[in-house]
Amino acid sequence: MTAVQFLQNFLNGISIGSVYAIFALGYTLVFSILGIINFAHGAVFTLGAYLTYSLAVGQFGIGGLFADLQLPFHFSFPFALLTGSILSGFAGVLVERCAFRPLRKRGADPLLALVSSLGVALVTVNVLQYLVGSEIYSFPSDVYGDIRPAFVLHFGEKLVVIRTVQIIIFSVCMVVLALLGYLIGWTRIGKALRAVAENAATASLLGINVDRFILYTFFLSGFLGGLAGSLVGTSFGIAGPYFGVSYGLKGLAVIVMGGLGSIPGAVLGGMVIGLAEAFVPSEYSAYKEAVAFAFLFAALLIRPQGLLGRSHIQKV
Amino acid sequence: MALLELENLTVSYEAIQAVRNLSLEVREGEIVTLIGANGAGKSTTLRAVSRLLKVQTGRIRFDGCDITGHAPDAVVRLGIAQSPEGRQVLALQTVQDNLELGAYVRHDHVAIKEDIARMYRLFPRLEERREQSAGTLSGGEQQMLAIARALMSRPRLLLLDEPSLGLAPLIVLEIFSIIRDLNAGGTTILLVEQNAKLAMQHSHRTYVLEAGQITFSGLSQELLSDERVLRAYLGD
Ligand SMILES: Nc1ncnc2c1ncn2[C@@H]1O[C@H](COP(=O)(O)OP(=O)(O)O)[C@@H](O)[C@H]1O
Ligand SMILES: [Mg+2]
Repeated sequence: MTAVQFLQNFLNGISIGSVYAIFALGYTLVFSILGIINFAHGAVFTLGAYLTYSLAVGQFGIGGLFADLQLPFHFSFPFALLTGSILSGFAGVLVERCAFRPLRKRGADPLLALVSSLGVALVTVNVLQYLVGSEIYSFPSDVYGDIRPAFVLHFGEKLVVIRTVQIIIFSVCMVVLALLGYLIGWTRIGKALRAVAENAATASLLGINVDRFILYTFFLSGFLGGLAGSLVGTSFGIAGPYFGVSYGLKGLAVIVMGGLGSIPGAVLGGMVIGLAEAFVPSEYSAYKEAVAFAFLFAALLIRPQGLLGRSHIQKV
Repeated sequence: MALLELENLTVSYEAIQAVRNLSLEVREGEIVTLIGANGAGKSTTLRAVSRLLKVQTGRIRFDGCDITGHAPDAVVRLGIAQSPEGRQVLALQTVQDNLELGAYVRHDHVAIKEDIARMYRLFPRLEERREQSAGTLSGGEQQMLAIARALMSRPRLLLLDEPSLGLAPLIVLEIFSIIRDLNAGGTTILLVEQNAKLAMQHSHRTYVLEAGQITFSGLSQELLSDERVLRAYLGD
């Protein structure tokens, strides 16, 4: 591999890796509070992509029940992205209210919540398919206005191409990571959130309303899931209502790789998997996902607790 | 009027009735101790008051207001704070953050800062470790932190669950003298202890709990010389 090729792969890798990171953080936040994997996260990813698409394009669907249904307005891309992600955050809140809270209140086995979140995921995907069909949705190329679609760096004969969408993805993800790091690390809400994650009973003895913080967590998680789905959809198109499923699995690989429940671990794991995929030669690109998972297995053999995980996981 | 009033309280863990038909009261300005053997139901009683456990039958009243159905965070807002058994400091957060979280229900930032400074005067060892994560403190320091954190909400009623558990005798004395000072400063205290003698020496009134039920109650001074209590709880 030449240095130029390396640079190209590296740039591709950190761009997609940053999306994996924010997506995986959505799993991590819920896991660190409830000790459960939220299997509806991949469905929220899909939902976010469709929401942002319809808000940016001003059209609900090109297939399904909503075929050709026009919105009376459409938003600029940044505003559509923000609104789509916020709506996804509320979808996350709904997931908590429907799939998690009722079982938690009855003291049910956490495994049941896992199954009910899987149920919510399937229902969401099926409803989406009914409403918008299973066509491939591609964002119009001028969705960001008149920014040029790509930047080309010349290195003698060789070229490095950076698509504008890659720059946008990377910058949005970095800004979101920084804001999230500030929120969780430095604010009163973040400290209370970490208190709930560490010990919910103790947190409630301090006057923290645990259920409310669980809702906040699901909102953040849904926001991150919807944002990730929108960014991936913008870059590669929305391949149908099931397109969140494979990303959902990849997200799981990311958090296991980084260490369950670890926030820096999710970011590092996302970058590692993104880069691993980017360095798969293009003639093998059909096996990209296999490579990501092979990488995961190799990493887990060496460090079973994940890259940044603590060797003990208290919650299951 | 009683500040805290438990009336015929019954609390269960699934099949086990841990507290049965328990009635007690704590008046404003008092230190009341609840003593009893391991497993008698002392922690269960405090957890029920803090609303961490469902009450099967009976009433909990605080300052005349029925709080039996309140949520845990609501009773903290009303002025009840607990330093739980086994301390339960937030091990991953710093000493300073633990104290700030103790004031979570308050919004008077200036006064919170002053109170943190006051806690550091009360427990100088905590100040030396303010930026350390609480998990790295010794048992005695964690106990001090748990008490200081409970005080940060400026409670009218402080519930202390075994503050002397596992501590060296000198530190235990130090903690009891702080409890006395807090009470002199106006905080009403309900103290759970296995160290019965010491707790009774430092309190106004005592309730004795056996297998979930109150068997004796009265002025601590009088119970300290009661034959039956002496035999059961104060034999050295
Ligand atoms: N989480 C729990 N689940 C089931 N039983 C419990 C639980 N906690 C306490 N118990 C039981 O309730 C009774 C009272 O316990 P506890 O209130 O902790 O006693 P104490 O604080 O006086 O030592 C004991 O029999 C104990 O075994
Ligand atoms: Mg106890």
